[in-house]
Amino acid sequence: MELWGRMLWALLSGPGRRGSTRGWAFSSWQPQPPLAGLSSAIELVSHWTGVFEKRGIPEARESSEYIVAHVLGAKTFQSLRPALWTQPLTSQQLQCIRELSSRRLQRMPVQYILGEWDFQGLSLRMVPPVFIPRPETEELVEWVLEEVAQRSHAVGSPGSPLILEVGCGSGAISLSLLSQLPQSRVIAVDKREAAISLTHENAQRLRLQDRIWIIHLDMTSERSWTHLPWGPMDLIVSNPPYVFHQDMEQLAPEIRSYEDPAALDGGEEGMDIITHILALAPRLLKDSGSIFLEVDPRHPELVSSWLQSRPDLYLNLVAVRRDFCGSQVECACWHLNVHSPGMESKRRYVLPEVT
Amino acid sequence: MNRHLCVWLFRHPSLNGYLQCHIQLHSHQFRQIHLDTRLQVFRQNRNCILHLLSKNWSRRYCHQDTKMLWKHKALQKYMENLSKEYQTLEQCLQHIPVNEENRRSLNRRHAELAPLAAIYQEIQETEQAIEELESMCKSRQSLALWPRLECSSVIIAHFNLELLDSSNPPTSASQVAGTTGLNKQDEKQLQELALEERQTIDQKINMLYNELFQSLVPKEKYDKNDVILEVTAGRTTGGDICQQFTREIFDMYQNYSCYKHWQFELLNYTPADYGGLHHAAARISGDGVYKHLKYEGGIHRVQRIPEVGLSSRMQRIHTGTMSVIVLPQPDEVDVKLDPKDLRIDTFRAKGAGGQHVNKTDSAVRLVHIPTGLVVECQQERSQIKNKEIAFRVLRARLYQQIIEKDKRQQQSARKLQVGTRAQSERIRTYNFTQDRVSDHRIAYEVRDIKEFLCGGKGLDQLIQRLLQSADEEAIAELLDEHLKSAK
Repeated sequence: MELWGRMLWALLSGPGRRGSTRGWAFSSWQPQPPLAGLSSAIELVSHWTGVFEKRGIPEARESSEYIVAHVLGAKTFQSLRPALWTQPLTSQQLQCIRELSSRRLQRMPVQYILGEWDFQGLSLRMVPPVFIPRPETEELVEWVLEEVAQRSHAVGSPGSPLILEVGCGSGAISLSLLSQLPQSRVIAVDKREAAISLTHENAQRLRLQDRIWIIHLDMTSERSWTHLPWGPMDLIVSNPPYVFHQDMEQLAPEIRSYEDPAALDGGEEGMDIITHILALAPRLLKDSGSIFLEVDPRHPELVSSWLQSRPDLYLNLVAVRRDFCGSQVECACWHLNVHSPGMESKRRYVLPEVT
Repeated sequence: MNRHLCVWLFRHPSLNGYLQCHIQLHSHQFRQIHLDTRLQVFRQNRNCILHLLSKNWSRRYCHQDTKMLWKHKALQKYMENLSKEYQTLEQCLQHIPVNEENRRSLNRRHAELAPLAAIYQEIQETEQAIEELESMCKSRQSLALWPRLECSSVIIAHFNLELLDSSNPPTSASQVAGTTGLNKQDEKQLQELALEERQTIDQKINMLYNELFQSLVPKEKYDKNDVILEVTAGRTTGGDICQQFTREIFDMYQNYSCYKHWQFELLNYTPADYGGLHHAAARISGDGVYKHLKYEGGIHRVQRIPEVGLSSRMQRIHTGTMSVIVLPQPDEVDVKLDPKDLRIDTFRAKGAGGQHVNKTDSAVRLVHIPTGLVVECQQERSQIKNKEIAFRVLRARLYQQIIEKDKRQQQSARKLQVGTRAQSERIRTYNFTQDRVSDHRIAYEVRDIKEFLCGGKGLDQLIQRLLQSADEEAIAELLDEHLKSAK
C-alpha cells in the first residue's frame, strides 16, 4: 500500500509541475496528500488540522494554527495581519510548516516546536527538556504581585523585595516578577544545568540579567542553602514538582517524552520538594516573609497537616487560591500562601520550653 | 433724506472663514463696495453663531431660515435670563442670609454662571460699540456725536452721496467732526479707517460668540474616553459585498487612527472567505477618541458593482450594509465587576491541569451572568493577557449599557444620536458607481470615495461637520427646554 502511494505520488509531482521547487521530505514515509504550491494560511491550517486529527494528536486545530502563525511571523493565528490570511505562501514557508508539523506528529509539545512561548505577556525561549510554564502559574505570579503591592512600604526601596525562586526552569516566574517589580531582586536556583542556561538566556533577552542571580544547586541537599549570596528573603516562590509518583505514567506523551521528569515528580505523595522548601523557612525567610507555592489539588490539606507537625518552622498556611477556571470545572492546581509570622510569635513560642 | 448705510456681516458657510463686508447703499443711486477680509479662523469654524446672532438680516441672504431667526431670539432671551439670575444670585449671596446647605448650592450655581455672565456682558458692550459705529453712519448729523465715543481710534466713514462730492481732506477726527463736508480722499481714508475699526470689533465679537458657544454646549461625559470600535458585516441574499465593504471600512478607521496619531490595537479579527471581513474589533486610544468617533456608530450602506468576490460575476449594482459600534472605554472605577457575577471559561478539557497537562489553547471566555454578556478572546498566547483583554471588552460593553440607560432617560429629538437608537439607523451611504459618500443626518455629500476610504482628511472633515451640527442641535435643545420651562 505504501509503495503504491509513493509511486502515485511520484507520478503526480513530476518535475515541472506548477514550476515551483518543492523539497518534499520523505523522512516519515507517510503518504501525504499533495499540497498545492499556492496554498493560503487558512487552507494550510485546515489541512494540517485534518492530518493531526487523523493521527489522534490532541489540540489539532490549535497546534496547526500556532505553527502556521509562527512561520508567518505572528504569535497567534488571530493576531496575524489580516492580509496574510489569504495570501499564497512561499515554498520555504510551506517547507517550514511541514517540518514543524512533522514534529507535532511525534507528539512534541508546540512550545518546544516553536522554541518559544509566552508567560505573563513575556516571550520566553523554550528548549526541551526544560519544563514548560503552565498558564495556571501565571495566576500564582499575579497573586505574588498583589501581595507585594499591599505591603507597599517594603516595595520601592532598591533591592526590595528580595525573592528566591526554587526550581526556576525557563525562568518564567522570576523574570515576570522582575519585569513587574522594577526594584526587586531575584535569586533563581535549579538543579539542572539546562534550566540554568535557559534562564540565563531568557534573562538576557529581556535585559533583566542585572537583577537576577541564577545558581546551579540542588535545594534538597543539606548544605546547599549555605551557598546563597544573599539572605534572608522577603519571598520564596516556587512551582515545585508536585505530581504524585504513581500519576507520572498517566501523563500525556507530550509531557512524558519531552519534559524533564525531575521537574514533575514529587515523590509518593508529591510532597518531597514542597516539604524541603518549607523546611528552608527558618534559615532563609525573613520574619513576616511568605512562601508562595503551586501544588496539586490534594495538597492543601496535606500541607496543612504537615505544617502542624512541624511547629519548629513557625509557618502558617494563611491562604489558598484555586485556579480561576470557575467552580464548574475541576480545579487544576492550588496556590498556597504560607506565612512566617514576626519575631514576637517566635519568642512567645520559645518561652514554654523553658521551665 | 436719510441715506443710511447698512453694514452687515455676510458669512459664507465655507471653512475658510472669509468675511465679506457688503457695504450697500440704500438709495436709487446704488453703489456696492465689496471687500474680502480674512478673519482669524478659529479652531472650529462656528459659522452658525454669526447666522444666529448677526443683527441685520437681509432677504437676499438665502442661507438663513426662520429657524435661525427664532434661535437667535431664543438665545438672546436665554442669555438675558442667565444674566439676571446671576445678578440675583450675587445680590442674594451678599445681602440675604442663607443657611449653609443652600449657600453651597447657590455658590455652585453662581460659579457656573459667572463665566457665561462675563461673556454676555462683553458681548453686549461690543455690540453697543457696533451699534454706535453704525448709527454714526446713518446720518450726517451724527458727526457731532463723535467726541462722545470712547474708542480712541474711531473714525467714521460717512457714506453719503452728497459727501462723496465734497472736498477738504480732514487731518484728524475732530477736524472731521467739525467739518460738514468731505472730499473724495477723505472719504477713502475714512472708509478704510472705519472698516479697520469694524474689523477689529468684528473679530472681537466673533471670538466672544465662540466663547459663549463653547460654554453653552453641554459637555459630553464620555468625550475624552478611549473606545472599542466594532464592525460587523450585514447580511445579503448572496455574494460577499457586505464582507468586502466591512474590511474596507475597518481599514479606513485604522488609517484614521493613524492620521489622528491615536493607537490602534486589534482585539478581534474574523475574516471571511475571499478577503472579506465578518467581524472585527479594535481598541483605539488617544486624545478625545470617543468625541470624534461617537457619530460613526450605525449602519453604513454600500452601493457598487463588485470588482472582486462572488458578486462580481454579474455586473449589477449591489447593495450591502455593515454596522459600526463605538463603545467608550471606561476606567476601572467606572464599571464595578463583582467576581460572583462572572463565569470564566477556558477551553481546556475538564479535569486535570497544572503540571499534569500541557495545553496551548489559551483562549478565554467571560460570561457576565446578570446581563448575559459573553466576551471571548484568543488574541494572545498568554492566557492571562487574553483574560485582561476580555475583561476590558466586557467593561466597555457594560459601560455602554450604563450609558444607554442614561440616554434613554433623556428623550432626545436630535438627528445626531449615539447609543442603541443610533445602532440601527442607516447613517451613511457609500455609492461607488456615483463616486459619492452621503451622510444622511446632516445632508452632507463628498466625492472621491477612494480618498475618503483612506481615512484621512476627507473623513476628518465630515466628522468635524458632524460635531458642529451636534453642537448646534445641543444648543437648540437647550434653548427649547428653556422656553418650555419659561412658559
